[in-house]
Amino acid sequence: MIQVQNISKQYSLSKQQQKELQTNAASINAVNNVSFTCTPGSVFSLLGANGAGKTTTLRMIATILKPTQGNIMVGGESVIENAEKVRSKIGFLTGSTNLYDRLTPGEIVQYFADLHGMDKTLSEQRKDMLFTQLGIHEFSKKRISQLSTGMKQKVSIARSMIHDPSVVIFDEPTSGLDVITANSIIELIKQCKQEGKTIIFSSHIMSEVDLLCDELAIISKGNLIYSDTMKNFRTQFSHQSLTEAFIDIVKGASLGV
Amino acid sequence: MNTILTVLKKELKDTLRDKRTLISAIVIPALIIPLLLVGVTKLQKTLMAKEENKQLKIALIGYPEVIKKQLEDSTVKLFTNFTVTTGKEAIAKDSLDGMIEFSSDFLANVNDMKSGKMNLYYKSTNFLLSSRISEKLEVIKSQILNERLKKLNISSETLAPFDITKVDIATAKEQLGKTVGGFLPYIFIIFCFTACMYPAIDLITGEKEKGTMETLLSSPASRFQILIGKMLTIAIVGVTAAGMTIAGMVIGLKFLPDIPADFLTTINNMVSPKFIVMLFAMLIPLSIFFAGLLSAIVIRAKSFKEAQTMVTPLTFVIIIPAMLAMIPGVVLNWQTAFIPILNIALATKEIIAGTINMAQYAAIVLSLIALALAAALFSYKQFSKESMMLK
Repeated sequence: MIQVQNISKQYSLSKQQQKELQTNAASINAVNNVSFTCTPGSVFSLLGANGAGKTTTLRMIATILKPTQGNIMVGGESVIENAEKVRSKIGFLTGSTNLYDRLTPGEIVQYFADLHGMDKTLSEQRKDMLFTQLGIHEFSKKRISQLSTGMKQKVSIARSMIHDPSVVIFDEPTSGLDVITANSIIELIKQCKQEGKTIIFSSHIMSEVDLLCDELAIISKGNLIYSDTMKNFRTQFSHQSLTEAFIDIVKGASLGV
Repeated sequence: MNTILTVLKKELKDTLRDKRTLISAIVIPALIIPLLLVGVTKLQKTLMAKEENKQLKIALIGYPEVIKKQLEDSTVKLFTNFTVTTGKEAIAKDSLDGMIEFSSDFLANVNDMKSGKMNLYYKSTNFLLSSRISEKLEVIKSQILNERLKKLNISSETLAPFDITKVDIATAKEQLGKTVGGFLPYIFIIFCFTACMYPAIDLITGEKEKGTMETLLSSPASRFQILIGKMLTIAIVGVTAAGMTIAGMVIGLKFLPDIPADFLTTINNMVSPKFIVMLFAMLIPLSIFFAGLLSAIVIRAKSFKEAQTMVTPLTFVIIIPAMLAMIPGVVLNWQTAFIPILNIALATKEIIAGTINMAQYAAIVLSLIALALAAALFSYKQFSKESMMLK
């Protein structure tokens, strides 16, 4: 379970950043007093326009960034007090397919298994299972620099899932991928849900959100402007498509409606 | 500790597959340095020999026949059909090597026991010309002087109140320490630093630029463990490059043409276990210091290019103290023992010469360890800043 409790994230601005953003403010609030809960066995979708604060929120859950205020509990552990324990429970997959170019998929996945302190036999078994499921075996000995974007994303998935995390964070995992690779990720998310994992998912592709989500939250300019179950959302906006409803909510929040 | 080893193992594997690191840390020091050392020395010797054996083309103007006869031999071709103007033009065009213009009263003055005047025209760019002609003229001058002394019934010893015989009691080891000892650390310190530069940028800025740092930070490895694993990789590359440079130079020195036998023995003895241990005891903390310093700098950069721009000027900061050690008079003492880089260069000289003061050596090693720890701490402070770790 993920419990996000009134988190805020403030960034100090350098003079250069103040100039770029045309502001005199010494700091900027990327996330402002956001709270939500993601339950095991369901997919929680975090939506928002570019720069809304989604990635910052996901990075705080993954302990890459520390909240300025508030706390996040992941599987009962605080991201502030027990960051290392939290990291051992999570799998983090971003849309960036960048990996270590000079290593092979087998070496990269083993590296992350070792970082998670996995037993050699167990990691080999899990690697074999993931490689079979994702079809990585045929290129597992090639260097990453020789692989296509789709192949790389499959390796990224295997790397994120090698330690069988109970919480999985997907930050725009299908962006820039072909339909077949994107579909394999959708299938993986469904499987994670069936396995009872806690899944938090951010995407700009509304059809994926519609297909996968059980609960959703919308962030705009760092503030949580909507949060409910997908069932209630569909009832509330039954006359609109998901995209139209999303645009209306974000526009409404900007106008203070 | 296991996590640090995991990071180290992965980074080493990744780095050793990088051609640029292999070239700068192994190929250049181990192959290019000995080839350059032997090649350049041989080329220099060949050019010198060619220049020394070349038949000189010298024009004589207003010459006394007796002098002409004394100058004439197989190494010189004399010309008597030039004027000062045409001779100067010929020298400028390199068709003549030099020209000697005798004053009209040259012979009369010489015979009257006075000084005969002559002008020697040449181009200073004509390598060895002046010394070769002067040598010939000195022989003639000395003959005339002896004749004058004889005429005056004066012994040649009158002009030499004392005779000095120089006896050098410096051992070959000490001589080698003073010559090679200055040059060797200069080269291996620079190679150590430049070899650390590329992996530092690749493993830190590169990982940040590619976005793999974000995934690594979401693994259970702490920032400290990641940093130490990366720093150790960078330091290992630096130590390897320095070691390869030393090996390359020792091999190169052994193959130098016409190297005296006692020098060769000293070079062979120089690579003793004691020398290696003493050198590496300084090199390891030095490389960790370089790794820490570079890590702290390159983590601030957002791109590979920016990181290169940031660290390139540092090379000059490293070169200056290394160069100072080559200046005569700069010696190892309690002040220089605490100047980073300069202390290693000076200590290496003393170790090769066999004159190292062990108390000063211990102080150098301890100061380098302290410096390496300070650099690691400084680097960790940078790694702890969120703004530094993500692009």
